[in-house]
Amino acid sequence: MSRAISSPEQRARWNSFTKITRYVVTRLLSLFVTVLIGVYLTVIIANMGGYVDEIRRAQIREQIDIMVSMNQQLRFMPLEERNKYIQDLVELQEKRLGLDRPFIVRSFNFLFDAMTLNLGRAQQMVSDSGSSQVRLIILERLPPTLLLFATANLFLFFLSLFTALSLSRHYGSFWDRIIVALSPTSAAPAWFYGIFLILLFAAVLGILPYGGMIDAPPPTGTLPRALSILKHMILPILAIIVSSIFLAIYNWRTFFLIYSSEDYVDMAKAKGLPANMIERRYILRPTLPNIVTSFALTLIGLWTGAIIFETVFNWPGLGRATYRAVGLYDTPVIVGTTVIYAYLLAITVFLLDFIYALVDPRVQVGSEGHKV
Amino acid sequence: MPDQKLLTIQNLLLHFRTTKGTVQAVDGVNFDLERNHAVVVIGESGCGKTSLAKAILRLLPRNVQSYSGSVYLNGVDVMRLSDEQFRREVRWIKISMVPQASMNALNPVLKVGEQVAEPSMLHLGADKEAAWQQAARMFERVGVPVDFLHRYAFELSGGMRQRVALAMALVTAPDLVILDEPTSALDVLTQANIMNLLKRIKQELQTSFILITHDIATSSELADSVAVMYAGQIVEIGQAIEFFERPLHPYAKKLMASVPRLRSKMEPDFITGRPPSLISPPSGCRFADRCPSVFDRCSQDPPLVQQDGRQVKCWLYV
Amino acid sequence: MRNLKRTLAEILHYPSAIAGLIIVFLLIVLAIYTVIAIPYQEAIRLWRGGEEVWQEYPKMAAPVWQNWFTRTKLAETIVLSTRDNEVSKTVKAISTDMTDIEIEIPFKYAYDTFPQELALYLTAKYKQKQPHVSVIWITPDGREITLSDFSVQQSQSYRISQDTRLQRRLGGMKPDQGLFADPALETPTPLKGDYKLVVSGIVFEPDSDLDAKFILYGQVYGLAGTDHRRRDLTIAILWGTPIALAFGLLAALGTTVTTMFIAGVGVWFGGILDDLIQRITEINLVLPLLSILIMVGTFYSRSIWLMLGIVVLFSIFGSGIKNYRAIFLQIKESPYIEAARAYGAGSFRIILFYLIPRIIPLLIPQLVVLVPGYVFLEASLAVLGLGDPVLPTWGKIIDDAQANGALFNGQYYWILEPSMLLMLTGLGFAMVGFALDRIFNPRLRGL
Repeated sequence: MSRAISSPEQRARWNSFTKITRYVVTRLLSLFVTVLIGVYLTVIIANMGGYVDEIRRAQIREQIDIMVSMNQQLRFMPLEERNKYIQDLVELQEKRLGLDRPFIVRSFNFLFDAMTLNLGRAQQMVSDSGSSQVRLIILERLPPTLLLFATANLFLFFLSLFTALSLSRHYGSFWDRIIVALSPTSAAPAWFYGIFLILLFAAVLGILPYGGMIDAPPPTGTLPRALSILKHMILPILAIIVSSIFLAIYNWRTFFLIYSSEDYVDMAKAKGLPANMIERRYILRPTLPNIVTSFALTLIGLWTGAIIFETVFNWPGLGRATYRAVGLYDTPVIVGTTVIYAYLLAITVFLLDFIYALVDPRVQVGSEGHKV
Repeated sequence: MPDQKLLTIQNLLLHFRTTKGTVQAVDGVNFDLERNHAVVVIGESGCGKTSLAKAILRLLPRNVQSYSGSVYLNGVDVMRLSDEQFRREVRWIKISMVPQASMNALNPVLKVGEQVAEPSMLHLGADKEAAWQQAARMFERVGVPVDFLHRYAFELSGGMRQRVALAMALVTAPDLVILDEPTSALDVLTQANIMNLLKRIKQELQTSFILITHDIATSSELADSVAVMYAGQIVEIGQAIEFFERPLHPYAKKLMASVPRLRSKMEPDFITGRPPSLISPPSGCRFADRCPSVFDRCSQDPPLVQQDGRQVKCWLYV
Repeated sequence: MRNLKRTLAEILHYPSAIAGLIIVFLLIVLAIYTVIAIPYQEAIRLWRGGEEVWQEYPKMAAPVWQNWFTRTKLAETIVLSTRDNEVSKTVKAISTDMTDIEIEIPFKYAYDTFPQELALYLTAKYKQKQPHVSVIWITPDGREITLSDFSVQQSQSYRISQDTRLQRRLGGMKPDQGLFADPALETPTPLKGDYKLVVSGIVFEPDSDLDAKFILYGQVYGLAGTDHRRRDLTIAILWGTPIALAFGLLAALGTTVTTMFIAGVGVWFGGILDDLIQRITEINLVLPLLSILIMVGTFYSRSIWLMLGIVVLFSIFGSGIKNYRAIFLQIKESPYIEAARAYGAGSFRIILFYLIPRIIPLLIPQLVVLVPGYVFLEASLAVLGLGDPVLPTWGKIIDDAQANGALFNGQYYWILEPSMLLMLTGLGFAMVGFALDRIFNPRLRGL
């Protein structure tokens, strides 16, 4: 008797396994192609289709002109010879920087370099360890950004999920209406609220730091250091949460409400299932794909806002590095951070798609499953 | 007691609020049901039939305004039970439901087998293995292949889903199963199959049925009694054979006259006008403005009177 | 029309929507008023005109109404010239060539703090012989202090605050303090009362003339205060409104309409076109918009129209497409579309007249909710230093404020004013948009 049930069950499990694998692989490939094209576009835009090259060429010529005119030894060279000398130097320099080949050809080199994370050297910025390699600069700046955003988003996710569930149970209650009324506050980005929080807690009340990641000078010992970092994380995380939470709760509570008016929820009630079981299996489970998708969008939104956000809080992460690079016109760093962002976004999308695949049976079974 | 009725409903009332006013969906319904007995509740769309099913199972909508009356199940008024008691003692153990054939009655992210096994695990305390075995047995009984236990709702056709819902309703062997339009979305052959299935189950499991439908013809096979519902009220209720032969209430008469007969040359009749809105039903007899036999007493709400072993809500029989 | 009335009636059910509508309405009125009252050229002149335009304003002054909330009254800015009624100018001929001109500038000083600066601007009309003036300061308690005497050119500015000789004569105290300090008190406290500045001048030609303008640069000025370059912030605050609204609305409109079209075309024609659109959407998702805007702004141009164009271009294939696609897919299957196809309607006709009208009710709330996003995007660009170099926008004010450490120096008004307006705009549109969503979205209707 039991074998009659487990055999189709085993078959079903194997089916879903292959289907999920196939889905994952397809997504990976398609995301890879996406990143490829995205980075290539970035490379093209970063050079404005050759415009920046023109600037650099002019810069080289100017520099060499000045250098030659300051060189005492060349002062007595006849004009024609001197011009040729300048021209040779210019060509040498251009060749060294690769400017003699047409941009299109070089762009593919850039693309390959960017994809393999060979991001070159910064023009002016330097990493903390003294290297001017863009990759090192970026790798140094990545952990603080990840730390801040991962923590904030975890808080955000669970806080909004549970609040939304609880609100959907008490539709029309006082708290429900307040959250709904407050949801438009998410129109403002996180950095905006950041400014106010700094104003209140740092400038007026003086109980939390203005910015940065750790006290200056940093305390000694692991625990004091950790505590100092935590203290500096409070305001930024608060800003992220305040700017997103009301809308997040509103969206999910609305989802839950919509999904709880589905017929199968009524059926679950009719079957006499207890309320928490209904919530878990009949409201939460079906909504999960939607939750995952909308969470993905929030995450992406936060990534893109990170530049200003980190600048406002003076947080030593990737965003602030990008801001500095912009201020210094440091092209390689700007392109480098953009590439990293593209990768990070793609990874985020992929992870969430993967979770989506695990959670939505239509993907597991395949929507091409024929009806019987 | 052996001759105690299974179900006695008195003055069941369910009103709910909408932006346009209060909908008096179930407005003072009275009827009885014996054991192992099938009553067919007939009525037009919008007369409150589905609300009646929900009212019996205490599935109240969010905007409920009034809910009152008595529902005696085996002599016990279950309206008096707390929500938690009702959930544990009545829902699905005593009364279960097969909803209107919509895609949505089954949870899309759970396997159907799991949903059929749920009530056994929950109400009968069965472990997972036993529950799934019971589910498999029900599948066989309703004619669904057993390996469908591992499928999802979207993989099944309408007819199959309906059978699964039926299996789910029977898995705890309840005393009463309410079926809301069990065959409306199905083709004729499947309809016949389902009806035969119901007859068999009634025989094998001694279950009672409340079959809510607008399809008189198909449901006539199963019916032991017939109740006619109009504008939130029961206007006639009686034994099936006698009803079909000679309906008493003018509305019921018109209904029966509108069913085409295979072997008769009679043209099907129709009823002029439209059923009243449940938001502001007329104060007198609700059928008065469409009734061919209307007279002056009809301006008052008629009482439910006994006539020839049936109950009719009409001044003509007072 | 009937739909519009019904919608308006439904909106009135939501108090947040009413508040939002009022805010949006006021903003639009403000924008229109600003564009009419202060024409564009005038605004640019005031914002970028240079020293001559700004000279009369104090540096980094808070708005006047801040005094209503504090107990210590900050010094207000006082500007008095010979054209004003309070100033008296007496012309008395002494001899055939010499004429005595006395200009008396009285003013009341009732503040708890000293002014930032004091300056006297003189204009003289003469052919050859310069007039000569003597500037005298009269305090409320009757002391007379001679500030300086000198010959006047056609346009002469006497910066009283920077007069070192005067400072020495005042015992080392800066003139801003020394001329106002109460001599009886130990700690420097301004003496409140009626002061008078007298310009006693002699002109040596019959047709010569002399005029004076006295400016007391207070710590507060105007409705909105001033910034580090002495610019009156009211200009930027006012003009920020139409710019923000225009940017937000144009971007939102452009994006939503185009996205809707593309989604419709994709769904209708299906197949490769649909797939292509999906792929482009994914690529677009991965492209970081802000970084690209930064690159364009840094390397190319910071014009606001260019930014707007790029923003719209990259937002078209945004996540909105997925929503519209889902809805279009549903609509596409409906019988009346089949009927339209059956009677031979062309594809574009179907898209334009059948698919799109169905989606407009759902589109409107989306559009409204998008506006604040774009308004803040423009502000974000400005804060990054990539704002339009010419236009006065709210984001630019915040950028200036941040760059000059407004938060550290306590110049809260500088940050709060544009932020409040940004917040208000965002909230206004968002509230209306959310209410509209509750009205138009069929799935939300029962709730």
